Amino acid sequence: MSPGTLARLAVAGNRTDLARMVLTALSAALATLVVLAALTVLAIEKPPGPEGTQSEQYTNALLREPGLRGGTAFALLLLTIPVLALAGQCARLGAPARDRRLAALRLAGATPGQVTRLAALETGLASLLGALAGLAGYLVGRTLLHRPDGDGRLALPTDVLPAVPALAVVVLALPAIAALATAVMLRGVTTTPLGVVRRAGRTGAPRPWPALLVGLGVLAAALFEPVRESLGPALDAWLALVVLVVAISAVLGVVLGTGTISYLVGRLLHRYASSPARLLAARRLTDDPWAGSRTFAALLAALVFGAGAAAFRAWFQLRDQLEREQNQVAGFADFQPDSFYLRTMDLVDLAVALAVTVAAAGLIVMVVEGISTRRRAYAALVATGVPRTTIGTSILWQVLAPVVPAVLSALGAGYVIGRMLMGDIASGGRTEEVCRASAELCQDPVARQNYVEFVQVDQVVSAPGVPLGQLALLGGGAVVAVLATVGVGLLFLRSNTAVEELRAT
Amino acid sequence: MTQLHARGLVKSYGPTPALRGLTLDIAEGEIVAVTGPSGCGKSTLLHCLAGILRPDAGEVTWRGHRIDTWSEAARSRLRRTEFGVLFQFGHLVAELTGAENVALPLLLAGTGRRAARTAALNWLDRLGVAELADVRPGEMSGGQQQRCAIARALVTEPRVLFADEPTGALDTVTGEQLLTHLVRLAGEQRTAVVLVTHEPRIAAYADREIVMRDGVIDHTGLGLDAPLAGGLR
Ligand SMILES: Nc1ncnc2c1ncn2[C@@H]1O[C@H](COP(=O)(O)OP(=O)(O)O)[C@@H](O)[C@H]1O
Ligand SMILES: [Mg+2]
Repeated sequence: MSPGTLARLAVAGNRTDLARMVLTALSAALATLVVLAALTVLAIEKPPGPEGTQSEQYTNALLREPGLRGGTAFALLLLTIPVLALAGQCARLGAPARDRRLAALRLAGATPGQVTRLAALETGLASLLGALAGLAGYLVGRTLLHRPDGDGRLALPTDVLPAVPALAVVVLALPAIAALATAVMLRGVTTTPLGVVRRAGRTGAPRPWPALLVGLGVLAAALFEPVRESLGPALDAWLALVVLVVAISAVLGVVLGTGTISYLVGRLLHRYASSPARLLAARRLTDDPWAGSRTFAALLAALVFGAGAAAFRAWFQLRDQLEREQNQVAGFADFQPDSFYLRTMDLVDLAVALAVTVAAAGLIVMVVEGISTRRRAYAALVATGVPRTTIGTSILWQVLAPVVPAVLSALGAGYVIGRMLMGDIASGGRTEEVCRASAELCQDPVARQNYVEFVQVDQVVSAPGVPLGQLALLGGGAVVAVLATVGVGLLFLRSNTAVEELRAT
Repeated sequence: MTQLHARGLVKSYGPTPALRGLTLDIAEGEIVAVTGPSGCGKSTLLHCLAGILRPDAGEVTWRGHRIDTWSEAARSRLRRTEFGVLFQFGHLVAELTGAENVALPLLLAGTGRRAARTAALNWLDRLGVAELADVRPGEMSGGQQQRCAIARALVTEPRVLFADEPTGALDTVTGEQLLTHLVRLAGEQRTAVVLVTHEPRIAAYADREIVMRDGVIDHTGLGLDAPLAGGLR
């Protein structure tokens, strides 16, 4: 096939194909924007001057402090994970129609390799368009948002631009990666002239080894503080890498563990299912337990990070509170600790909320796809008198039964690791200056001298409490998001179970 | 005795007319073949009779009750209890085993799991495919899937079985074996059968043959004994 023919066939298709390509392009645009934002933050020059000099041209502390920019860029890059997961899920949208088209091509004489290249090209082209749109949006956005305030300071780093080669690499690499991923995903699929055969899923029960990964993450997190104490600050950079590995292994463990959870829940449901809805859900769960891992990966990853952030926040809050108490004892009544870290945690929470939202959008795609691939069997059930609510209930069971334990394990793993990384807070253990007088007198530097005493304060080790409220909010929010997306997905059930689906082809 | 009665059925899909004033009676235990060229409205007729589609005009009565005016839920219940439906492809649920697929309508009706499984095994056995009880549809041949589908359609002992080209995807020998089973089992429990097909050979299994053309009945024959009708044979 000539490249021209290949390209033309790659973009030929019906409305679902168009929807898939638009969604793919949109996620590519989103991913491009996020990556470019991260690059921009990294492009801010370190201000001249001694260590600790801030970049005064910005209003936001995250941008002013050179030391924080790496973390900000990293958080932005983390956001690309759910966006890319969304892109991957979009690739499955309308797959039956595309499968038919690919099969027809095979029937017309295309080789399996050509068919794979075609599908990869489709994704690649759509992503390239999206990436270009993302770049355009970025360039337009940075001019529109370039609004210095009265002091000439900026809210966003609209005054720097990443190096042009870096921009080019992003715009070209993203589509290339997307196309490559499509080709890899299609390796499990054989397009024969008579239709598409998916290689049978892994057989047998998933092993419980993902729990080991989570355990490993927790262990590494537990050893973090002692190791840091003994090694000193010299190795901090390496320890940051360890934290990253810990986090990733925990996320992997939770995501893969969802396969195990799905399988076990399916087995349980099957044993006790008396209603057809639960029976259907149970069979589907044990049949393809990894579907849960695929579906919820982005959501669970967001929750692990969210729960870790909740542990961090609890730690910072406790430290602030202890500081306030000590200052009160010392007579500095109106002392306000710098809650810079708490504000940073607000940003992290925002990122987590965004990630959950994007993940939920991906979930809609998955639910709709699951319904549309089974539409003939569903339509036949409806024709034989099975109420649509029964089918809807089975889908609800199928999604919710594994998601609740999976969300709990994600929150648990994320929280425990975050808690371990931060450790306890030791306060006191030194001589404190205590002012025994009214606040007014204590504030006055001269008068104060007459009332101060020096008191030996015993060291107290305080442990931050479990931020149950925030964890519940995260878990509840995630489950509600899942419920909402399933609800939206079920709207498609009616059109997908119409009698038309039964017309002999 | 007439059980199912359709009068003056009209149904169009947008500008395309599918039924144009068709009248038909189905008696208890009667086996009726509906034949005719492709696109003449056979499937549409079947769907209207079974309460899957609502006709634009005309009426369908079941034992004296007008069912075409019933709600979707009420018609669903009727299909679940009194009717059975069978299509060209089995449309079994891919994730359920043969026995579970057959047991599904019973479970919906509230039968306990054990009783439903026993009944399902019994029906698979009667159709000569007891060995499919724990096999998934994906591992069955087309004929085996269709036998499971027949078991699923008959397990509730419906009063009428609607079959839309049930052998359309099978080879002649398999198709005929299947129909022999279908007709025998339906006869044993006096289930009426409305059998849509475009193969005149298959119509020979019926008590009565209805030949459709352009949305109406062209003429009626009498199954095996009927004279060679309308150039179709
Ligand atoms: N869902 C539909 N949308 C549009 N036209 C339809 C639809 N279903 C059937 N038709 C049309 O109605 C006529 C009768 O169709 P059908 O009942 O399926 O015929 P048969 O089963 O005899 O082949 C045909 O002209 C067909 O094209
Ligand atoms: Mg038809």
